[in-house]
Amino acid sequence: MAGILSTTISGLLAYQRGLATASHNVANAETPGYSRQRVELATRPPQRYGSGFIGSGVQVTTVRRQYDEFLDASLRESISGERRLAAFVELASQVDDLLADPEAGVSPALARFFGAVEDLAGDPSSMAARRVVLGEARTLAARVRDLDARLAELESQVNRRLETTVAEINTIAQSIARLNTEIIAQRGAAGGQPPNDLLDRRDELVRQLAERVAVTVAKQDDGAYNVFIGKGQALVVGGQSATLSTTPNGYDAGRLEISFQAGASTVEVSSLLSGGELGGLLDVRAQLLDPARAALGRVAVALAERFNAQHREGMDLNGALGGDFFQDYGARTAAPHPANTGTASVSYEVTDVGKLTTSDYLLSYDGSTYTLKRLSDGTTTTLSGFPGSPATVDGVRISLASGAMAAGDRFLLRPTRGEAGAFAVVLDDPAAVAAAAPVRTEAALANTGTAAISAGEVLDATDPDLLHRVRIEFTSATTFDVIDETAATTLASGVSYTSGANIDYNGWRVQITGTPAAGDRFYVTSNAGGVGDNRNALLLRDLRAAGILDSGASTLDEAYGDLVADAGTRTRQAELDRDAREVMRQQAEAALAAVSGVNLDEEAGRILELQQAYQAAAKVVTVADAMFQTLLDAVRR
Amino acid sequence: MSATRISTAQLFEQGLATLQAQYARFARTQRQLATGQRIATPSEDPAGMVAVLDAREVIERTAQLQDNIAVARRKLGMEEGALQTVVDVLQRARELGLRAGSGLLSPQDREAMAVEVDALLEDLVAAANTTDGSGEYIFAGYQVRSRPFAPAAGGGIAYAGDEGQRRLPVGPGFSIPLGDPGTAVFRRIRNGNGTFVTGYGASNTGTGVIGPGTVDDPTAWVRDTYTITFTTATDWEVRDSASNLIASGTYTSGAAISFRGISVEITGAPAAGDTFTVAGSTNQDMFTALQELAAALRADTSDAAATAKMQMDLGRALLDIDRALEHATDVRAEVGGRLNALDQQERLNEDLLALARRHLSEQQDLDYAEAISRFQRQLLAIEAAQRSFARVGSLSLFQYL
Repeated sequence: MAGILSTTISGLLAYQRGLATASHNVANAETPGYSRQRVELATRPPQRYGSGFIGSGVQVTTVRRQYDEFLDASLRESISGERRLAAFVELASQVDDLLADPEAGVSPALARFFGAVEDLAGDPSSMAARRVVLGEARTLAARVRDLDARLAELESQVNRRLETTVAEINTIAQSIARLNTEIIAQRGAAGGQPPNDLLDRRDELVRQLAERVAVTVAKQDDGAYNVFIGKGQALVVGGQSATLSTTPNGYDAGRLEISFQAGASTVEVSSLLSGGELGGLLDVRAQLLDPARAALGRVAVALAERFNAQHREGMDLNGALGGDFFQDYGARTAAPHPANTGTASVSYEVTDVGKLTTSDYLLSYDGSTYTLKRLSDGTTTTLSGFPGSPATVDGVRISLASGAMAAGDRFLLRPTRGEAGAFAVVLDDPAAVAAAAPVRTEAALANTGTAAISAGEVLDATDPDLLHRVRIEFTSATTFDVIDETAATTLASGVSYTSGANIDYNGWRVQITGTPAAGDRFYVTSNAGGVGDNRNALLLRDLRAAGILDSGASTLDEAYGDLVADAGTRTRQAELDRDAREVMRQQAEAALAAVSGVNLDEEAGRILELQQAYQAAAKVVTVADAMFQTLLDAVRR
Repeated sequence: MSATRISTAQLFEQGLATLQAQYARFARTQRQLATGQRIATPSEDPAGMVAVLDAREVIERTAQLQDNIAVARRKLGMEEGALQTVVDVLQRARELGLRAGSGLLSPQDREAMAVEVDALLEDLVAAANTTDGSGEYIFAGYQVRSRPFAPAAGGGIAYAGDEGQRRLPVGPGFSIPLGDPGTAVFRRIRNGNGTFVTGYGASNTGTGVIGPGTVDDPTAWVRDTYTITFTTATDWEVRDSASNLIASGTYTSGAAISFRGISVEITGAPAAGDTFTVAGSTNQDMFTALQELAAALRADTSDAAATAKMQMDLGRALLDIDRALEHATDVRAEVGGRLNALDQQERLNEDLLALARRHLSEQQDLDYAEAISRFQRQLLAIEAAQRSFARVGSLSLFQYL
């Protein structure tokens, strides 16, 4: 009878534990990271009688959480992948929105600016048309600067989010390390029984960490997790955690990088980290923001350089040669690496926009050779003759401004990225818009031949004699002399005549076609007063349709269109990838939830089952009691 | 992977996630319907967005070309009007010249005609100094702000402009001149018959009158100044500027005197020692032609020799006016041709614009029928998802406990 009671009570206790666990499951059905728990039962050791073994009841061996570490690892991986893309998309779609409105973008401003130049070509002496050109140019410059500023603002947003994320990672890493310590202690105290809820909390923290950066977890025999990020950087080892920090980029203090601090050493690990929010932020900066700013900068630099060059080949309303229309980019100073030991100052200048790329460049010196690395694709060029003479790569001329580079010194060159921020109109006098060509030609009225002279074009606007009055005089039907009347010098004599051949002097070029007669005279003179001339305005206007980028392959509009398309494509690709990753994450979650998740119906069923078992056990107690009473009654008699 | 167990939280989350995704798609359709545009951001269709930008660029550029055509038409219309005045003036001068040559007129009549020719000259100068609406001289070349034609100190009309000719693009790769410089319109006109011009010695005493002459063989013509000298009243000889004897013959009134591929006719009775000249044509402005006419009308006709000279001057002036008229008509025809070209180009541009607009519309505009049907389908799907979500949410075994 004592055996029956003891056996029954073991059952009652076991069912109580079971009901307690089931109600714990129900209570935590919505707790993130909670794994359902099950009471594991086993028979108690039986008592041996002569007739055999009589069972002595049930015991709870352990409360086990339903968990699969491999499913969890794959969930972490899909979380990191999804969060990376989600962070990417969040910023990329802001770029996408910036470029979305065709009315507010750079494209229509570009169109209106060149439209104004073309209107000026229709009415070159009109001050109103000139004011419109300047006004539209300022609008265009403001649009370009504004877009660059908005992209730069997104970069600061990346910086702020990097700071926040790094702080969160550090907090989570510390919590994991603390939980490690606690789990080891509790396991010891409980004789190796798992502290299920602590394990759940730690797994949930690791998943939260995986949202921020891709992690790998190595489970230790004592139950601790060692957590690694990047390429094996140990973020948590047992009860110890390392610290991540944001540090300014060596070349650009406004740009934050991620550094890993373990003990006294600090290592920059930006390029090693992947996945999660952190990976997404670093990727969107490198793959979308930088290229977009560089592409915009290239359009700005190309427009400024080419427009200025053509504008300088024109003549303004006052008869003066054209000056800079947009801010001249000129020579800029390369950013030295903070660890440089040499004294060098390096400058660079865009000399050929046709060859200009959107890449940044790294100039390095290993003690014997100077190497320039194009960062977009890693192409390296050995700079021969540098620094004795400037080296030109991809349309950028690099020269040593002063000092000398020491071995290991590095400089960063950014010919395009960020330059859109400096795009501005410097011309402010409408009369100074050079719509006219600086020279004009005429044929003497007394000419008896039928030859005609072309209107002339400028080859070199810097030639000091460009505006001299020059006479081309035919000494026979087949030869001519060229006389600079202003300087009273003969530039050439007895030149043989070919119809249509180029005649180049003093920085200009003309052609004479047809049949001249001896004594015929042609003149090339300054176009001062030629306010009705629109030739330079037309040449300026032609820049829009000219392939001035990518060695003639791209117009300004196309280069801007590429920027829009590239940002759009990358955003779209990231969105599609994110959606796919979201499905993968959901599947991994479902897979883990299939093992760990609480199903209330299931728990209800289990509670019902345990309740009935508990009632049955209680009934056995009654039976045992009745048996005991029967016995007592028999003895009393 | 299909899960055999479903956790309750998972069930709700999945239901919500599905609803969220449906809302996102629904919102996009709604935005499309509200804006009427297929693409809201470049990422929705990067290639389509570039096509939109390209189409817009084509439209802007072509619309600009249409604006240019309007500018060109205005300028060329102005020029055509000025040229019409020039033609009218020259025709009136020609009529006067023909009337003066047709019969004997009194000196008063001739003076009256000369006064009218003076007025015509002023009209011609005024036409040459025509300005457009913005005050630009249309025949000044590039120097549109300075008056191109003005009487010169030494007589004649001087030109202060240049030979610049402004062009404006009106079609893809096609530009058109907006006008013609004054030199080309008014000044570069070959005098005489275009190859040579005949003249007479100032001291001629006979009544010989030389005609304008004709070119028989252009290749035999050698440009020079030739002098036809009557050695007697019936014998002539031709010498070039270096006094080389080129030809000689016996004079018959009205018979051709031919040398170096050209022929001239002399009529009347030249006196021994009279000279006539044949010189290569030079460029001469049309103002000079009118001045020649006025001078001829005012010339002395007191004796036969002077009358002969007057007739020759008159003939020369008429010849030059004819050539000026021909030239002005040519220029006007060319301007008319440019205006026609503008009309044609305008139609071509219009076609191009229509094509680009259609292309833009295809890329950018929403297919409403498709979008509305999609809208309704998505609405239905959301309603279904909402109902099933509510039903699933109300499922629980605890209700029966």
